[in-house]
Amino acid sequence: MLGEALAVLAKELRSELRSRVALNAILLFALTTLVAVAYQIGPYRIHEEDRPHLLAALLWIILFFAATSGLARVFVKEEDAHTAKTLRLAARPGAVFAGKFAFNVVLLGTLELVVVPLFCVLLGYRVAGLLGLVLLLAAGTVALAAVATMVAAIISRASGSGTLFAVLTVPLALPLLVMLIQGTRAAAGSAELAAVLPALRGIVSLAGVTLVSSVFLFPVVWHD
Amino acid sequence: MTRWKTVLVWLLGVWMAVVCWAAFFYAPTARGFKGESARIVFFHVPQAWVAVVAFCVNLVASIRYLRGRDPLDDIRAASAAGLGLLFSVLATISGSLFAKIMWGSFWNWDPREISIAILLLVYAAYFALRQAVPDDERRGTLAAAYAVLAFVTMPFLVFVVPRIYWSLHPDTIINTSGRIDMESRMLQVLLGSVAGFTGLFAWLYSLSVRLARARLRRRQQEGG
Amino acid sequence: MPEPESLFWVAAVTVVIWVGIFLYCLRLERRLQRLERGQ
Repeated sequence: MLGEALAVLAKELRSELRSRVALNAILLFALTTLVAVAYQIGPYRIHEEDRPHLLAALLWIILFFAATSGLARVFVKEEDAHTAKTLRLAARPGAVFAGKFAFNVVLLGTLELVVVPLFCVLLGYRVAGLLGLVLLLAAGTVALAAVATMVAAIISRASGSGTLFAVLTVPLALPLLVMLIQGTRAAAGSAELAAVLPALRGIVSLAGVTLVSSVFLFPVVWHD
Repeated sequence: MTRWKTVLVWLLGVWMAVVCWAAFFYAPTARGFKGESARIVFFHVPQAWVAVVAFCVNLVASIRYLRGRDPLDDIRAASAAGLGLLFSVLATISGSLFAKIMWGSFWNWDPREISIAILLLVYAAYFALRQAVPDDERRGTLAAAYAVLAFVTMPFLVFVVPRIYWSLHPDTIINTSGRIDMESRMLQVLLGSVAGFTGLFAWLYSLSVRLARARLRRRQQEGG
Repeated sequence: MPEPESLFWVAAVTVVIWVGIFLYCLRLERRLQRLERGQ
C-alpha cells in the first residue's frame, strides 16, 4: 500500500517536473497577486494597529486562491488525458488518494516556501512566533490539501470542472481559512506557542476529520 | 391511510394558525429587546431548526445512497437539500430583519451570520454540482460524497468559529450553561412553533419526494 | 381600525402568508394523490 502510494507520488512528481503546469499556474498566480498587493500597500500603508489582522488575512487570501488555481489538476488531468482508467486498474484507491494528496502537500509546501518569505519582506510583516507560524503552515497545508484533493476527485467526474472546483472548495475551506487567519495573527503578535494553540488544535482536528472521511468517500467517488 | 393524512394535514393547519396567533398575542413582550422585535424568535428559531433537520436528513439519505444506490435515496437527499436551502434563506431573512431592528444593520458579519452564509454556500455548491453531472447515478454518488464531506466540516463552523469570535447573537436555546432562560409562556409558544414547523417540513418533504418520484417514473416510461 | 404599526397587522400578514402556503400545499397534495392513483 505504502509502496503503491509512493509510486503514485513519484509518477505525479515526474510528470509535474516535466510539464510544470500546476506549479507554474500556482506560483505565477501567487506572485502576481503578491506583487499587486505589495505595490498597492507596501510596508507602510497600513496603520500599525491594523497590521497583524489585515496582513494575516491578505497572506491567506493570496495562498488560498493561488492554491485553488492548481490543486484540482491532480485528478482533472487524468480525466483530460483519459489515463484515469489505467490508474484505476494499476493502483488501489487508497494508494491513489494518498499519492495525490502527498503531491498536493508538496505543491502547497513549495508555494508557501516561496510566497511566505517574500510576503514578509515586501510587506514588512514581522512575525514574533516563528515556530508557531511554521506549525500553522504545516497543519494548514495538510488540511487544505486534504479538502482540495477530495473535492478535486469529485469535480473531475463532473463537467465544467474548472469553475466548479472553487465553488465547491470555498464553503468547505472557509472555516479552515478563518482559523488559519486567526492563528497567524496570534503567531505574529506573540512569541509564545500557547497563543496559536487554539487555532492549531482546530486545524489539526479538521485535517484529521477530513482525511478519515476521505478514506471512506474516495473509493466511492473513484469507482462510481 | 389517506383519511388519517387529511386529518393530520388539517390539524397542522390549525396548529400553525394557533401558533401564529399565540406568537403575537399570547406570548408576553420580551424585556431587553427593542419594542416587539423579540417575537421574531418564534419564527426564526424554528426555521433555523428545520434547516438543521433538513441538513441531517440529507446526510442520512446520502449515506444510504452511497450504500445501496437506490435512486429514491438520491431523490430524498435532493429534496431535503432543497427544503434546507429554502428554510435557511428564510432564517437568514428573519435574522437579518431582527439584526436591522436591534443592531441597526441588516448584516454585520456576526459569527452566526457567517455560519449561515456558509451553510447557504454549501447548499448552492451542492446544487451546482448536481447540475454539472448529466448521468443520474454518478450525480447521486458525487452529490452524496460532497454532502458527507460538507457535513463533517460543518461542526467546526457552528461550534468552533463562534467560540473564537465574540458574538452579538442572543444565546441559542441550547446554550453553554445548559440552562433555558426564557419566560414560560414564550417557551410554550416557541416549542409549539418548533413542533409546527417540523410538521410542516415533514409534509413539504413528502410532497417534494413524491413529486420527484413521479417525474422519475414519467421519464422512465418515456425512455423505456 | 388598529394603529398602522400595531402587532395586529404583522399578525394578519403572517397568517395570510401561512394560509397561502397551506392552500398551495393542499392543492399539490391533491394533484399528487391523483397522479399516484393514475399510475
